[in-house]
Amino acid sequence: MATASGAPPPAMDEKARRTRDLLASFYNTDPSAAAGAGAASPASLARHSPTAAVASPLDSINSTSFDPETYLNVLVQQSNLEGLLQRHVKMAAEIKNLDTDLQMLVYENYNKFISATDTIKRMKTNIVGMEANMEQLLSKITSVQSKSDTVNTSLFDKRENIEKLHRTRNLLRKVQFIYDLPSRLNKCIKTEAYADAVRFFTGAKPIFEAYGDTSFQDCKKASEEAMDLVIQHLQAKLYSDSEPIEARAEAVVLLKQLKFPVDNLKSNLLEKLEDCLLNLQNESTQASISDISKTFRAYLIIFPDSEKRLIELAQTLFSNRYETVRENLKKRISSTDLLAMLRSLWEDATAIDEVIPEAALPAFSLETTRDIIRQHIATAFLHLQSEISDPLVRTHSTSNEKLEELQLQNAMDTSKIRVSQGCIDLLQEFYHLIDGNTEVLLKLRDLIIDWVQEGFQEFFQKLDWHFHVLSGRSKSFPQESSALDSVQIDKVPTVLVLMLAQLCVYIEQTTIPKVTEELASSFSGGGARSYEYGPPFVPGEICRLYRSSGEKFLHHYINMKTQKISKLLNKRFTTPVWIKHKEPREVNMFVDLLLLEFNGVVSEVKQILPGLIRRHRHSDSTGSTTSSRSNPMREDMLNRSNTNRTRSQFLENHLAKLFEQKMEIFTKVEYTQESVISTVLKLCLKSLQEFVRLQTFNRSGFQQIQLDMEFLKSSLKEFVDDEAAISFLLKEVNNAAHERCLDPIPLEPPILDKLINAKLAKIKEQNPNMQ
Amino acid sequence: MQGGSSGIVYGGLKYQARCIADVRADAGSTTFLAGTLSLKEENEVHLIRLSPGESELVCDGLFYHPNEIWDLKSCPFDHRVFSTVYTSGEGYGAAVWKIPEQHGQSNSPQLEQLFELAGHMGKLRCVLWWPLGKHDKLISIDDRNIFLWNIDSSNKSAKVISQGSADMLPNLRGGAWDPHNHNSIAAISDSSLHLWDLRSMDIILSKSTAIEHAHIRDVDYNPKKQNLIATTEDEFGIRLWDLRMLKHPLKDLPGHSHWTWTVRHNPEYDELLLSAGTDSTVNLWLAQVSSNDSGPDSPSSPKRQEEQLLNSYTDYEDSIYGIAWSSHDPSLFASLSYDGRVVLESVKPYLQRK
Repeated sequence: MATASGAPPPAMDEKARRTRDLLASFYNTDPSAAAGAGAASPASLARHSPTAAVASPLDSINSTSFDPETYLNVLVQQSNLEGLLQRHVKMAAEIKNLDTDLQMLVYENYNKFISATDTIKRMKTNIVGMEANMEQLLSKITSVQSKSDTVNTSLFDKRENIEKLHRTRNLLRKVQFIYDLPSRLNKCIKTEAYADAVRFFTGAKPIFEAYGDTSFQDCKKASEEAMDLVIQHLQAKLYSDSEPIEARAEAVVLLKQLKFPVDNLKSNLLEKLEDCLLNLQNESTQASISDISKTFRAYLIIFPDSEKRLIELAQTLFSNRYETVRENLKKRISSTDLLAMLRSLWEDATAIDEVIPEAALPAFSLETTRDIIRQHIATAFLHLQSEISDPLVRTHSTSNEKLEELQLQNAMDTSKIRVSQGCIDLLQEFYHLIDGNTEVLLKLRDLIIDWVQEGFQEFFQKLDWHFHVLSGRSKSFPQESSALDSVQIDKVPTVLVLMLAQLCVYIEQTTIPKVTEELASSFSGGGARSYEYGPPFVPGEICRLYRSSGEKFLHHYINMKTQKISKLLNKRFTTPVWIKHKEPREVNMFVDLLLLEFNGVVSEVKQILPGLIRRHRHSDSTGSTTSSRSNPMREDMLNRSNTNRTRSQFLENHLAKLFEQKMEIFTKVEYTQESVISTVLKLCLKSLQEFVRLQTFNRSGFQQIQLDMEFLKSSLKEFVDDEAAISFLLKEVNNAAHERCLDPIPLEPPILDKLINAKLAKIKEQNPNMQ
Repeated sequence: MQGGSSGIVYGGLKYQARCIADVRADAGSTTFLAGTLSLKEENEVHLIRLSPGESELVCDGLFYHPNEIWDLKSCPFDHRVFSTVYTSGEGYGAAVWKIPEQHGQSNSPQLEQLFELAGHMGKLRCVLWWPLGKHDKLISIDDRNIFLWNIDSSNKSAKVISQGSADMLPNLRGGAWDPHNHNSIAAISDSSLHLWDLRSMDIILSKSTAIEHAHIRDVDYNPKKQNLIATTEDEFGIRLWDLRMLKHPLKDLPGHSHWTWTVRHNPEYDELLLSAGTDSTVNLWLAQVSSNDSGPDSPSSPKRQEEQLLNSYTDYEDSIYGIAWSSHDPSLFASLSYDGRVVLESVKPYLQRK
């Protein structure tokens, strides 16, 4: 600042200088001074410069560099007379004021000086008397100190003695306490104030530890015995369920204070609990779950650190119980029973959950219940499947070649009923599952619906697959019914295949619509899971599956039957040497076998398939033979070919064929008796024709065929409506034989009739009770 | 599924007929040989050629054959040579014939018999040429024996090299020669199919089949893929097998309403199969056999099942015993129904559909 720069004159006092500076800044005469501290020094320098003095000579009246001469000159130059007069008056007033001020100041100063002198004078007089007093005080204090020292020394010995006595007394009191301890403990035991006992004993314990082997041996023994008693009591208390929980908890705390191995106790107790729970499972659950939950709660309080173990216990308890339910599942229990079990379990789980929520029992239960229900549904379907298939298997395994009339029909009907009723029953069962109001099941409702729908879908697919396995068409998976197919694959009874075919149709047309309806009414909703492939149960798909399966089975049946007959024919046509055949004496045996097979087919088909319009079997077979046999055109043709054995005969055959309407031999098979029977017949006759074509006959061979066919013609009429096709095929066989004969001369009609009648007579003789 | 009258019909065969064979050695055109089966008349062998405009089948040669023909095979390396199996009354015979030169001029020249495969006692079934080219061996099969012949066409002679007897399995029905292996043939009998090793003349791999597997009627090797064969059976229609895994067939095709008589792989596109049956139809199948398809054929979607049958040619009057792909143009095949009608059909329209 200004002082630092050292520019201002040192004579000037601080205050005056500050006032002047203030005034200067107020009047703003020196801009540099107003500008700031940094500019202070040049401003003060400027004030000394003549220009500054010239610039404001009037203002510098208060400054040290005041020059009255200049001031006056400037004043005179600048002001007029009036102004000078005013200035004069003002200045005179100012001077007067200043004089008064000065006088006042001088007076005040003088006053102050006077009073100071007075004060000094008074001080001097006061101090004089003090010294004597001070000395007196010092001597007194010294005497007090000496006295106190003498007292101290005289009392020292006694005090030490007292202290020693006091210590001894304390010790004696302690000893007394210890000697009293056993009796006191016993008293405590009597009053069951175990807490006090423990407190006492723990108090005495350090002493026992230090001197127990020596002075207090007896005492220690006695009190330890007492404490053992206490411990026993406490344990008993702990174990007794009748005690209030708080008391038991207290006992544990006390035991813990006694450093008794509480963990052992705990594990013992828990094991006991476990046993108890185990018993609970084994015996009928009479002990209610509320007891268990109470126990759990108690243990939680008693052993706060036992939670983990308890959770484990609870979990094992429930998993065991669910396991039992699962076991029951295998025995195929009804849904209501299962439901009851699950419901009670769920309730129990919620009860326990209130006590130990950490065990997450509801979640566990929910999951397990879900699994169990799912399994239940699966097993139910499995059972149904075996229920359906087993009787089917049994039917044929017991069946002999000759089945009782109507037995098959019965079997068929029962199978149908079993399928339908089984499905409906199953639905009923499942309906119980979603019908219940149990909380757990409500949660699972959607899932159950899905499962049921899925289950039906799968069930039908599996059943279809199973049917295929039964029919021997599909090679079954190794794990599936291995015992079953080892028996059957080699020899699947044809009846079974036919029954399967019919069952497929029945399922497609009756069962599936019914199931669909039921599902729609009771098991709608669902969709808990998102299905990318649409709803879980697709009746259309199943229907399609069964339709195609049914067709397959039907074809398979026909195939098997024709196979069998084909084998017969094969033997018949490959064994003899046809070219050296002897003259026909009778209708060949194979015709009987053929008819037997046909009869078998007819009886099977008639019992299982619907829609045979009762044929007039009484249109006696004997009468029809003669009339229906001769075909004038055929005879005509044969005769002609006899006489005229040229190549034109081949063309004639062709021509004749052209004029006959083309026979539709291979028509679509329907699920009717007629259709199946005629298909089998047609296929067999076609095979017959093909076999004939593979041989070469001599005349007798040809005649034998002619005879056999003629007989068949009359006999087959009983079986089919489609006489035209049959007779066409028979004719074809004859034609084939004719073509393949070296010397085709047919039998004379009388001989033919005679042989056929002989055969018929023979049949009649064997079966007198035949119509 | 009506086959329509798209086929080119050759009606020149006047008698019943069972055999038709593609003349593989004729590289220039689609040619077939067909032989008749007439007990009483003089039998004929027709050389049928597809006219250059592919519009009609013309008879390129008609030759009298002394007996009715039960089997006819064209020599795969000489288009003028073929073999027949025939019966004359009670006896069976087999011979290799040569079509004489200048057959165009003379109407019915005599066939030149190169040699007879004499020595068979039983019922001769068929003669096999190695299918893919020049091989100097020939196989003949009767109902009990398999003969391997060494042929020498210049010397017009044939010698039995070895003979295998199937006493254990009577009633051999036929067979096929593995195109991938000179030494292996598949022979079929009443109830089974056996592979024979021609070096030891013994059964090398036995597929013991149950009774249900009876009546294998025909067998054909896949011309492109090794170890794959197709069989036709009475019960199961057509089945495709992997010879290394004979437990389960690779594929089942339904076959025909009556017997499926024969099956042939297309020489170029081995997934195309042709089958003929006694229900007077010829079926064209698409049978894709992938190696991973070996699992049991579970009930797959019905769509796939339908897809397998590309077409059914139904425009026939009688049973069909003979079919032959043209090796010159693999999209063509000829079928021969029992009434002697040869129909040439193209499979092209059905291939585009897939």
